[in-house]
This record gives sequence, C-alpha cells and structure tokens, in this order.
Amino acid sequence: MSLDVQLLDPVEFLQPNRRLLIDTNIFMDPDARRAGGLKRLFERGQDAILENSNPIVVPTKVIGELTKQSRRDPSREAEERTKVAIKKAGIALSFLEDASKVGLVRKDLGDDSNPYADDLFLRIFERFAPAYEMCLLTRDITIKLRIRLLAHRLDKRLLTGVVTKDGDLEIESDQSLFDRGLRKYALRTSNVAEGNGNFKDRSEVASLEPLLEQFRQALDLKAPEAKAGDRPAKPSAPRGSSGRAPTAQPFSSTSKIKPRDAVLAFASLPTEGDRVSWESASKSGTFLLGSLLGEGGEGSVYQGDRNTVVKIFDKEHVTRHRKEKVELLVRSGIQAKGLCIPSAMVCNAAGEFVGYVMPKATGREARTIFNIRKLEKDFPTWNKSDLVDICISFLEQVQHLHSMNIILGDINPKNLMIDDRKNVFIIDADSWQLEGYPCPVGTPMYTSPAMLGKTYADDLRSMEDELFAVGTMLFQIVMTGQFPYMRTGTDGDMVQLIKEGNFAFQYENRNNKDQPDGDWKFIWSHIHKPVKDLFWHTFHKEGKRYRKRPTAVEWLGVFKAYKAYLGNEQFSFDPMSNSVRPIRPKAFKPDTPIRDCPTCGRKHAIAGIWNDESQDYFVPSACNKCRGSSVRGAIPARSARAGLDPPQPATATSTGKTRVSALAKQYGIASKDALEKLSALGEFAKTASSSVGPDAVRRFETAYGAELRSALRQRTKALDPSRRCARCRNPFITYGNVEWHQRAGKPVPTTHKPGPGGTYPPGCFPPSPSPRGSTTTTSTTSDNKPKKKATKQQQTTTTKKKKGFWSWLFD
Amino acid sequence: MAAFNIGADDLVDNPTPRVPVSLCLDTSGSMGGSPIEELVRGVNLFYDAIDEDDDAHDSAEINIVEFNSSAGLVHDFASIERLERISSLTASGATAMGAGVNLALDTLDRRKATYSGSGVLYYQPWLVLMTDGGPTDNIDLAVRRVVDLVEAKKLTVFPIGIGSGADMNTLARFSPNRPPLRLDGLKFKEFFEWLSKSVARVSRSTPGDTVKLDLEGLAGWAEL
Ligand SMILES: Nc1ncnc2c1ncn2[C@@H]1O[C@H](COP(=O)(O)OP(=O)(O)O)[C@@H](O)[C@H]1O
Ligand SMILES: [Zn+2]
Repeated sequence: MSLDVQLLDPVEFLQPNRRLLIDTNIFMDPDARRAGGLKRLFERGQDAILENSNPIVVPTKVIGELTKQSRRDPSREAEERTKVAIKKAGIALSFLEDASKVGLVRKDLGDDSNPYADDLFLRIFERFAPAYEMCLLTRDITIKLRIRLLAHRLDKRLLTGVVTKDGDLEIESDQSLFDRGLRKYALRTSNVAEGNGNFKDRSEVASLEPLLEQFRQALDLKAPEAKAGDRPAKPSAPRGSSGRAPTAQPFSSTSKIKPRDAVLAFASLPTEGDRVSWESASKSGTFLLGSLLGEGGEGSVYQGDRNTVVKIFDKEHVTRHRKEKVELLVRSGIQAKGLCIPSAMVCNAAGEFVGYVMPKATGREARTIFNIRKLEKDFPTWNKSDLVDICISFLEQVQHLHSMNIILGDINPKNLMIDDRKNVFIIDADSWQLEGYPCPVGTPMYTSPAMLGKTYADDLRSMEDELFAVGTMLFQIVMTGQFPYMRTGTDGDMVQLIKEGNFAFQYENRNNKDQPDGDWKFIWSHIHKPVKDLFWHTFHKEGKRYRKRPTAVEWLGVFKAYKAYLGNEQFSFDPMSNSVRPIRPKAFKPDTPIRDCPTCGRKHAIAGIWNDESQDYFVPSACNKCRGSSVRGAIPARSARAGLDPPQPATATSTGKTRVSALAKQYGIASKDALEKLSALGEFAKTASSSVGPDAVRRFETAYGAELRSALRQRTKALDPSRRCARCRNPFITYGNVEWHQRAGKPVPTTHKPGPGGTYPPGCFPPSPSPRGSTTTTSTTSDNKPKKKATKQQQTTTTKKKKGFWSWLFD
Repeated sequence: MAAFNIGADDLVDNPTPRVPVSLCLDTSGSMGGSPIEELVRGVNLFYDAIDEDDDAHDSAEINIVEFNSSAGLVHDFASIERLERISSLTASGATAMGAGVNLALDTLDRRKATYSGSGVLYYQPWLVLMTDGGPTDNIDLAVRRVVDLVEAKKLTVFPIGIGSGADMNTLARFSPNRPPLRLDGLKFKEFFEWLSKSVARVSRSTPGDTVKLDLEGLAGWAEL
C-alpha cells in the first residue's frame, strides 16, 4: 500500500525550475487543523523566493474572487460561517498586497476573460508545463484531478496539494484523489437525484463523470465495484451542452423486446401534393405534402410546413412498431437542435397512420467527409479540428439520446447530415430502439461482433453494441472514411474483419506491417494520443475497452481535449497535425525542422528525420509524395487501354526570377522585391488574396508555387555572408540554418561545426577535440523519432524522462 | 494542394469498398455490324450510368476482356473517373470463350490481390459473360473455375446470350445458381442500365451483406 499523502518542503518548489501557485480556497480554508499554515509557508520560503526571484503565484482571478468575497456586507449575512469567510478574504487580500510589495507574491498573472478559475489554472499549467515543474495549492478536488491527468498526459511533474499547519506541502496520492473524487461525484449525484441539486451540482456531475473515468484509465486505478455494474444506458447521464428541453423524461431502459412487428392496414399512401392530417402532442391540423426530398429503404421524405419534412413509409413499412414508436417520441416532447425527432403523427385522408413530421435537417450526408477527395473539394478550408468539431457535435447528439435511454441502432453515414457549420443532424428516428421496440435495420460495418450473427429486427441491441457503432463512426470521421479494421491481406470479408478484432494501425511498439497503404498511417500517426489510446483499446481484441467500450461521455472528454490540443501550438507543434490529410509521420519533437516541399509546394510536407550518428536532423529535399512518385510511377490516366501508357513525367519547371517577378506583378505584388515578399507562400496568399482574390492566388500557387519555393530554397542553401565564424572569420552558416535555429528558439551557432570525420576547415581550430562519433550517415528509419544513444549516466536519465513525454504526445 | 499528383494514390486514397466488374465480351466475326455497335453503345452507357451514381462512382472498378480467336484485355481495372469511353471494338475470328473467361478470372484474381495487398475493402467480383454463339475452344477449365467460385460465394456471374445463335446450354454451365438469360433483341442499353443499377445497389450495401438482385428489372431486357 502506498502512502496516501506525501509532505514536501516548500523550499523545494521555490527553486528556479519550479513554480508554486495558490488557489482562492486555500486562503478561505476553514479547517482548524491547517490554521496558520500559509504564514509558516511564507516564513520558510521567503529566502528561497527572494534568492531565486521566484515569487509564489496568486493569479488575478484569485485576487478577484477574494475581493468579491471581502466586499460583501457581513451585517447582512445570517450565517456565522459566511461572516468569517468575508473577514478571512479581507485579511488574505491585505496580506497578499504586502507580500507582493516585497516580492514574495506575484499577482499580476492571469486572464480575466475566462470566468472559470479552474480553466485558468489548467491553462497556466498547460502553457508552462514544458518549462517548469509546478504545484498548485488548492482544496478543489476537480481541479486536482484535472491537473494530475494533465501531468500524466504530458509526463511532467505537476502536483497539487494543500498546506499543513507547519507550512509543508501535503501532496495526496492519485488513488486517494480518485477515491475522494468518487465521493464528491456520489454526493453531487445524489443531490441531483433527490431533486436538491443546484446548477453547480449538475455541472459538477457532468464534468466529473468523464473526468473520473479518464483519470481511472489513464492512471490505471481500481474502479469501485458498484460503478462498474451499472453500465446500460442510464438516465443519470448529464444533458448535452445546449438548449435541451429540461422537461422530457427518459424512456424506460427495459431489456424486454416487444412482440414481433406487423404491417398495418391502410387505404392509400399520400404523395406529393396530397392533403394529410397531422397530430402533435397538443395540436392537430392538415397540410399538403410538398416536393419529394429523398427516398430511403423504408419510406419517402417530403417537404412539409415551413422548416419541417414529412416521412411517409413504404407500404411494407407502415407497421405497428413504427406507429407506436413515433407516438412515444411525439408525446415525449424531446427536442434538441440537430435531432430530427418526430413532432407529429401523419395520417392519410382515411385517418390511418402513414408517417410523421420532423424538423428538417440541413447540410449534406456524412458521406462527403468520408471521401478525402470530396472533402478537399467541398470543404477546402477545413482542417482536422473541423473534423474534431463534427465528432463533438455527433457525440453531443448521441449522448443526449443515450441519456433518454434511446439507442440509435442503425448508426451509419446515411443517417447523419452535416451542415457547413459542422452541426450534425441525426435522421431516421423511426428506426431508433426505445422501450423494447428494436431497431429493425443495421449496417454491417457498424455492427458489433456480438450482434453480427443476429437479426436486427428480432434482437434488442445492447449499449455495448451501440458503442461499437459510435466508436466506428468517430474513427471514420477523424480518419476521413477509413474503416477501423482495414488492413492488408484481407479477402474483403468485412464481417470477418470485425470478428477478428485485429486493429492494424500502428500503436506504441506493436507490429504495424498490416497497415493499409496510402496516407492512412500518416493520418493515424497525427491523431492525438489520448484519442488514439481509446481507439486502440476499443478496437483491438487485446485492448482494455474491447468488451467495455467507451461511452459517448468518455469520447466527448477525449475529443474535447483533442480540440484544445490542436489549438495549442506548444503541444501540437507540428502544423501538419491539423491537416485533414497528413502525408508524413508526425514530427517527434518541437525542434524538428519542418519545410514546405520545394517540388510540389505542399505546405509543411517535409519534416527532418533524426540521425542517430550525427545527433542532428536530416532534412529530405522533397516530400514523400515527390520522392515516392518517381519510384512508383503514376497510374495511367484516361486511356482505353490503361496500363499501357508510360507514366507522365512531372511538369518541367525551368524558369527564372524574371518570370516570377512578372507574374507577381501581374497578380498585384510589387515586383522589385517579389522574392523577398514571397518568402513564405502563406504571406503571399495573405498579400495577394486581399488584392486579387483567392482564385487567382490558387492559380498562381498551382502554377508557380513550386518554382518560387525552389528559388527560395536555393537561398536557404546559400551561406549568409554577414555571419562569420568566430574562429576563422569566414562565412560558415547558411540562411536556412540560421532560420532553423531562430525558429526553434535556439541560439544561432557562432563557429563552424565539425565536418565529416570530425574535421574543420583550414584555419579554424576548435579549442578541444569533438566528443562525437565521426560518421554522418543518415539513419534509414522512416519515422522521425530521435533515437538517442545515451552513453553517460546523466544522459540516460534525461533521455528516459523525455521519452515518456514524447511518446505520449507523438506516438 | 489536392490538385497535385492525383492519379498516384487513386486506389488507396479512396476508402470506399470496391466492386470489381469484369465484362467478358464476345467479339468474334459473327458479332459484326449492328450487334457490336450496340454493344459498344451499351458499354459506354454503362460507364455513364456508373459515373453518375454517387455510390457506384466511388466503388465500381471495371475492366473489359474480349475474346475472338484468342483472348485479350481491352483495358484493365480502373475507377470510372479514369476510364475513357470505348470508341469501337472489332469483330473478327472465332469464339475462344474458354480463354476469354480464364483471362477475365485471372484479371479478377489479380485485382483482388491488389486490393488485399494495399488494404482496400472490396465486394466479391462480378463477371459478365456475353456471347452470340458457342465456344470454339475448350471451356472445361473455365467452367470449373467459375462454378467453384460461385459456389464458394466468391463470384457473381451473369451469362448473357445475344440473339438466337447463342448457345444457352454452354452459358448454363457457367451459371450454377440461376439460368442464363437471353438478351431481348439488341437491348444492350436496357441490360447495361439494369447492370449499373445493380452495381449501384451493391455499392450501397456493405461487403459481406447479401444483396438481392432486382429480378423484376430483368423484364426490361431479357427474353423470358
Ligand atoms: N429530417 C430530414 N431533413 C431533410 N432530409 C431528410 C430528413 N430525413 C430524411 N431526409 C432525406 O430522405 C432520405 C431518406 O430518409 P431516411 O430516413 O434515411 O430513410 P430510410 O430510413 O427509409 O432509409 C435521406 O437520405 C435524406 O436525404
Ligand atoms: Zn512534394
């Protein structure tokens, strides 16, 4: 049994490489056992603080909260507790004021635009984790869990704790934190369940549930027995984020299937222009069916009144189950943007049930984004974070339905529509499974191994079956259409592939020789590690979540983290990670040189490959595509006897500065310094698009981007005459190398580096021989991972530490 | 950037499961004149229909094998985007049906191996065999291969007789599950329309699904 708490000397956290922060609740701590602790902390720490100029950080947000507290009028408060709190806040403020004057506290740090102090701390920790080890003193269990999770993800020392009476930092173990988190969750949940919950309870429940689950998985902690038991769609799940009707009651979570479905009799099916009657929960009326919008396997969809559509079932699909299901949904009053839930029953002229009214979905079928070419064509500006947004929108819808005990059943791209603003609409509500009515249809690709042998109409799906489909859909959205079980060496039998559970995408140190050809392995390589983890564990038969699949809430957690990650350049430093189609493995470290390809012009297409021998990056001269295509040859285009044509040669590029300048002029860029101005094509686009429009820029880019970049490349290879070696006084470094150092935030070298065999140019004598090896052969590994050979003891430890961090982020 | 090098990764770029369809066509001397012209027109119409269908467009991959005195590949498998319409086929010589079917099966095998090797999902292939006569070479091996594949559910075959001279008994040997059909007059157009709809229907299912053919639709082109 490990100790539940650990005590640290505050001085340790006041060293230059560390930072100590304090949250509001520490100043307000009512616990007598810890009284006087803060004072002791400052007494013990002050020398170290001043010596290292490392004041304790109390963010502006905390100051703000204390100020707000202190300004309340104690005479108007009934409770003694509150009166004490007001006083405490005042004392804390004046202490902080004094302490900051003498340099013991720093209280100017923060961002008041964010209303949540928790988020602020998290942001500070994320932002500075690469630079410092940090410790936050707080009593709030939720933020503690968040920070510890972050620490685990980043493999950084980020601690949280409280102050003891003696001024020590008391750091709790992760298991103990987790247990306390569970208790808090249970308490809040029961408040909510008993109807005593306030807004704070509800939001805590909503955020704690996924957080605790992630925490447990990430740190591999024991789950309490009780929680593992209640897996099926449970009504306690929190509501989705926006505008959900709070009145709707969940359906029962029965596992008893209704008697078999049967076709209902009717006189006629209405079609375009026919008058139909409708009946909602509270009103009724008639209207004319509008034009036909689409046809599916079970019915036709017509334009209805205003923003609605009407689905009229085919003759074999006017059934009792459908009628009763639609009735239940109409009466439930569930409403949410994006869910096309029946709002009224529709009857023909004879008054017989034939269909239903639902909100109209906008956008296009999800299929568009499952084909990378269509995606690039239809949404040229989208990047990975847009696909992550779609996952989040999809999950919010699914989570909402699950919280109502509705199982979607036939999850597949045809039942999702996506609009330009990345809202996901879910259609085909009449196929949903609820109250024991099965979802009678399905799609093999999204069918769980357990469900594969069964008949959709005769069996109820379990939540596990549903979560298989959810996972598959998410995988296909972020992987632009690829099927999770795709690998080489299959005989095309999808059912077999699902049953095998052989998820072939590269994961950690596993064999990856079955990964499908093409860019898929690169697309996969750039996916955020926590999402990758969850995919792997869900789909691989040896994964921990293979039989206990992640819930929508859990997925939401990791996809939101993915979104945040892509928006943070400190962590997602490889710009290609945000591309919908990466064409190379993810760069391994922030200092990896990344270049546009001079041949084809693809942005960020080249990343340095770590060379063990020289302990430096080798930067290929062209991207994978350009290097690969000369070997592979192009597929013959448009030929009646395809296969006989010779591969088309790459378009010749021979032109000089003049043509580029002339063109630049034509496109509205001052010709004099065209090359300078175009030093980055991005900049060019910026300059040009404002004056000549994006189309012209694209044409220009296609026609001359490669040339421009190759001209620029020439320059990057040239020696910078203004920089001279400090030893031999000769130019020694290229423009490109200078920029590389500057971009990586490294000091630009001032002297020649040793050449092959450890030699130096004549007249340039280094003070002592180089300790390095003598060859500079490039490693032939295709990935970009630095593989350091550690010789010294000290080097081993730093390498090891880094490895965990990097492999978390970039594996 | 999407514009660069688009051909190179055609196969693997598209994650849609493929339906390989081999058209194995009789171009012997007896097909000369309007039958071969109608056939070419029918094939091109088939291509157009596949091109226009959202699902089939991404899934279908078609090749053409012709047989007369020997067998030859008119064009190898390619997605519809890369296929030019055929301008003509030349009718001459005998009817090496055995060789034609064997070549078609070989190309299908190779294509499946390519899918498998690259990690592309696919449906079991289709073979369309069209003739207006009877074989002039030995067809035993070809028949055995087709029957084995069909029985193992690894091939769907459509043997189609053209005109009254077509040897329906021979065609029947290629079709263990259902009787071969005779084209009604020169209704190639109707046949290929039906075929494209059937391919589209498969494209809308997922591999492993059993797809029902639209038998009612046969009435448009088959002599019953
Ligand atoms: N709520 C809706 N808004 C707009 N179009 C819809 C809506 N529901 C269905 N459609 C259109 O109708 C088609 C068939 O609907 P769907 O419910 O999928 O039919 P089925 O369940 O019979 O296969 C869809 O592909 C879509 O184009
Ligand atoms: Zn390139």
